[in-house]
Amino acid sequence: MTVLQLKNVTGGYTRKPVIQDLSFSINEGELVGLIGLNGAGKSTTIKHIIGTLLAQSGDIFLNGVTMQQNMNKYRSSFSYIPETPVLYEELTLREHLELTAMAYGLDEKTLATRQEALLKEFRMEKRLNWFPSHFSKGMRQKVMIMSAFLVNPPLYIIDEPFVGLDPLGIQSLLDQMHARKQDGAAILMSTHILSTAERYCDRIILLHDGRVRAQGTMDDLRRAFNMPDATLDDLYIAMTKEQDANEQSK
Amino acid sequence: MNSLNDVWTKRFTHYVNELQKYMRFIFTGHIAIVLVFIVGAGGYYYSEWLKTVDTSFPAELLVALLVGVMLMMSKPVTLLREPDQVYLLPLEAHMPQFFKSALRYTFLSKVALSIVPYVVTIPMLKATTDLTTQQMWLIVLAIVVLKWCNVQGEFVYRYANRGANVWLDYVVRFVISALSMYHFLTQDVVFGVLFMAIAFVYVTSLAKNMKGKPVPYEHFVKVEQDRMMSFYRFANYFTDVPHLRGSVRRRAYLNFMYKLAPFQQKNTHVYLVLRTFIRTDDHFYLWLRLTAISAVAAAFVDLWWAATIIAGVLSFATAYQMKIALLTINSFTMDQLFPVPEQMREAAVRKVIYVFMAVQALLVLLCAIFINPYFYALGIIVFVVAFITERMTKRPTEM
Repeated sequence: MTVLQLKNVTGGYTRKPVIQDLSFSINEGELVGLIGLNGAGKSTTIKHIIGTLLAQSGDIFLNGVTMQQNMNKYRSSFSYIPETPVLYEELTLREHLELTAMAYGLDEKTLATRQEALLKEFRMEKRLNWFPSHFSKGMRQKVMIMSAFLVNPPLYIIDEPFVGLDPLGIQSLLDQMHARKQDGAAILMSTHILSTAERYCDRIILLHDGRVRAQGTMDDLRRAFNMPDATLDDLYIAMTKEQDANEQSK
Repeated sequence: MNSLNDVWTKRFTHYVNELQKYMRFIFTGHIAIVLVFIVGAGGYYYSEWLKTVDTSFPAELLVALLVGVMLMMSKPVTLLREPDQVYLLPLEAHMPQFFKSALRYTFLSKVALSIVPYVVTIPMLKATTDLTTQQMWLIVLAIVVLKWCNVQGEFVYRYANRGANVWLDYVVRFVISALSMYHFLTQDVVFGVLFMAIAFVYVTSLAKNMKGKPVPYEHFVKVEQDRMMSFYRFANYFTDVPHLRGSVRRRAYLNFMYKLAPFQQKNTHVYLVLRTFIRTDDHFYLWLRLTAISAVAAAFVDLWWAATIIAGVLSFATAYQMKIALLTINSFTMDQLFPVPEQMREAAVRKVIYVFMAVQALLVLLCAIFINPYFYALGIIVFVVAFITERMTKRPTEM
């Protein structure tokens, strides 16, 4: 079943669109990687999906509804882990989790069980009453990750998740993503760590200049670029050269 | 090497511009007018009091303590910034030159803060001591020299000890400065000069300690940030300072307030706003300050109409500023994605304002109980004004 569907989405910050005519969808139990150069439009795409930017044209369906149709249903269908952690300096770790649980309508019992498991997984049990000012970059990232997984929504949107995490943290995150996938959740992940993307993503969307350059499994991509045996790194570099060649011919 | 001098000059220009930008608001604001009146009234009472003061008044001691405190406060203005820890690292050997400019500015900008209070006390010294005019002006010279020692002293202490136990340095310099001042004021020049010499020895011995130690960038950057922060916080009383990051304190004694937001989806924003308000220093102290002023006024102003106006104006100011502060959000926060109606944040802010304005009303009422027969009316006015203010204040547009 399709969880997220983008239909011909065009949008950006100003009237000049950053993403153009973007269409793709993500199904239940699927981990999809959103890959592209700096400035290709990954973050802009994500901002349109989470609704902080509104599309100039096109529609985004999440669980069958657009945000205009049913704001509450749309918003409770996903959780988001931003590239740089956005924490409330005035809330402790415990309160971040509690606030998230309240906002997404979890009951206290569910909160307690899920919280315990997540704290253990990310080894943060001892920091429950700490304020973010005492957290390292990796710990801040973990707070965001735990808040997102606490909600257990049908869709996870994860922007560049591995930067700043220690190897154990990365493993925990991958384990969590795998478990949620098994339970039927869809995950959209944007990253520059291509080896990880190649290894874990079911499908990959290559963004280029605000458009989908190619999408599908690794085999699909290899075919699209006419490079059998290529790794994702090779394909990525091929795309870079394509861009340079295009710019020179302009 | 010229470039570090350029760095200093550039920073200094930028710093002065920044100061001027906010000073304009400070001196044109209505609070400036209030200050003029307060200074005027203070000056009048002072001159009246001078007519009655008698010679047994311990003016020398008082002036020595006052000037001692002003001399002690000599925080270096280094204008160092966070990236300097990385980018200026290769220039370690040239840093003394940079600091020389920094300390020169520190001295020049702060010396007046020690001289002016002294000059203000000169009429009192004339009335109570037998210092000659010439001696009084020579003391100004002593203040200048002592200030120079203090500025150097604080800097080298912070440098040598990376800021550890800086209060120790404050105590030492205060005692030396105040003693030196006291002896000069009591015309005991020998001891005055002696303590001045001790100050010199203090500085030079610390300076020896400092040799060979790397520049404590981390400490100086922190000092600089705190210093700018306190300036911005001060400026924030007069105008809106955009990049003011509020520091946060737990204030566990107010934890009982959080019972107002029990665990339910509809309380999501109340949960958040309550904590934001109570724990962010800027928000909480704003309320505390205005409430304290209002309570003191209620306890001492015995003209009923004046008390009413003061309570009303302060209630308006509190409610208005609380609403603006709690609804202004300049960046992305996770609650913007919460699956709850968007009006909930405004409703939560309203609730928090009502609760804290009710507390203000109660405190004002209690303080007025002994001197104002209409004390209950005062409480009602505080709350009604706050209620109307909250209703009439528009949500600030996003910046």
